[in-house]
Amino acid sequence: MTTALILLAGLAMIFINIPIAVALGAVSIVAMLVLQGTNSLLGFPLVLFEGATKFPLIAIPLFVLAGAIMNTGGISRRLIDFASALLGFVRGGLAMVNVGTSLFFAEISGSAVADVAALGSILIPEMKRKGYPAPFAAAITSSSASLAIIIPPSIPMILYAAMADTSVVQLFVAGIVPGVVGGLLMMVLAWYFAVRYNFPVEQAFKLSRVWTTFKAAGLAFLLPMIILGGIFGGFMTATEGAALAVLASLLISFRYGELRWKKLRAAMVDGGVQTAVVMLLVASSALLGDFLTRAQLPQMLAAMIGDFTSNKYMVLALLNIFLLLIGMILHSAAAIILTVPIVMPLVMMVGIDPVHFGMIVTLNLAIGQQTPPVASVLMTACSVAKADIWDVSKANVPFVILLFVLLMLVTYVPIFPMGLVELFYR
Amino acid sequence: MSLLKLRSGFEWLLEVITMFLVVALTVVVLLGVSFRYTGNSLGWYDEVAAVMLAWVTYYGAALAALKRAHISVPGFVYSRPRAVRMAMVVLGEAIIITFFVLLAIYGVYIIGVLGSSTLVSVPIPIAVTQSTIPIGAALYVIAELLNLPDILREAWEGRKPPSEQDIVEELQ
Repeated sequence: MTTALILLAGLAMIFINIPIAVALGAVSIVAMLVLQGTNSLLGFPLVLFEGATKFPLIAIPLFVLAGAIMNTGGISRRLIDFASALLGFVRGGLAMVNVGTSLFFAEISGSAVADVAALGSILIPEMKRKGYPAPFAAAITSSSASLAIIIPPSIPMILYAAMADTSVVQLFVAGIVPGVVGGLLMMVLAWYFAVRYNFPVEQAFKLSRVWTTFKAAGLAFLLPMIILGGIFGGFMTATEGAALAVLASLLISFRYGELRWKKLRAAMVDGGVQTAVVMLLVASSALLGDFLTRAQLPQMLAAMIGDFTSNKYMVLALLNIFLLLIGMILHSAAAIILTVPIVMPLVMMVGIDPVHFGMIVTLNLAIGQQTPPVASVLMTACSVAKADIWDVSKANVPFVILLFVLLMLVTYVPIFPMGLVELFYR
Repeated sequence: MSLLKLRSGFEWLLEVITMFLVVALTVVVLLGVSFRYTGNSLGWYDEVAAVMLAWVTYYGAALAALKRAHISVPGFVYSRPRAVRMAMVVLGEAIIITFFVLLAIYGVYIIGVLGSSTLVSVPIPIAVTQSTIPIGAALYVIAELLNLPDILREAWEGRKPPSEQDIVEELQ
């Protein structure tokens, strides 16, 4: 009863607009006071400090910074130019360019919202100018940025791996096949709509233009090769790969001569702020974790659902519904930090691979970013496109259905995400 | 000095600290990788980098509070009638400030308890590394107090606080 009241108090704090990180910390303090008395408070600053020192999470500020440098240093624009030269001759080519560039680095920066603002501000006006309807341009930008969550390197995956104590590299590898298949399907869908609604062909195919833009963007292509090659090849950890990403994107941006101090400064501040927002949540969840462990809540949940069903596929269906709902009302980082420690005992009890479950979690949250009321990514795309959220949501339905189909494949055909992991790491 | 000037000065200070910490963290990790490849792993690298992450967290959290960038759920409060809305916002602010005041007080106490002990790999006193907790908490309280007039005005007028996309656009 006391536990339920305490959790209810935490929920009430979140609903009166207290930052979730602070609400978690405050409710944990209330729990400590009620259950253990004032002396228990002595250690809480230590728990909050230790909670913010998780070494694997150092990758977060570094990837955020690398993404921000790529966005401000001219790398993203060159990639768009190359993709346009390559795909511009196809009907709906610009929409495909949008998907391709989003997938290339959207989640490197850790925030799909920031990426939609950066990439979308180049691509959406261009799409509108070429005659694409604004809601369609916003919808495809938004959906492809969210799909990029499952393509490595991905901040939500790093966060999940730390919370679930599983391998981030294996999680990155598990994301490759579903991410690439999802991206290709999204391009096919864009092509279908382009043919159906007669969207424009951007330009005739010219090999010389492809070559020129490739040369201009050449250095940028080295970036994922060095970083992902290093991480997957086992030469470096995700954190070290992230530091290398910062260095490489900085050098490339200097080489392009487009990096300005003002933008670089903003990128560093942005990196620090985004990291602090996520890390404060991680730290205060460590405090709440103490309380949950003492209250045996995750174990109780596992036992309760275990009494109802021990069928793995049934449990997966229940978890999917739960995660979809959570993803609709919470930011992805908050959703991972709040739910993963609670559901992990259940996941382990029914024998779901934690890497496989990580893919399921991230894809659910990708869908959540597209569905109101929170839908942070969709809202930003609407704002960039100056389009009505209702119109964009309608245009986005086929893309959300595609993400859902991908989720079902990832959930019920484990070989789809896990094939490469089994092949290389098990 | 006007509140606006004080706020922008405070923001500048927090931005400089956060920037410095992010750059320092990147340099430390790059040094760690480089030395490992030359066969001379730095013994202090993991421990120092982890402490620096905690510093980025608590100084950055104060900056995020000033920019009102922490993740929250504002929709419920701002759809209530004015009296209920004001009551909720005042209660919320009181809880936030109390939490960080407690964190600052107990943070100082813990530093006293830890005394002169140092990190395992380098002779840096734990009192120094842990100082980020009370300092960060105090900075958070200052940020919250500086934002308080705006927060109360928004609640009174029924305006929604800045959303994530407003903050992203501001940072562009």
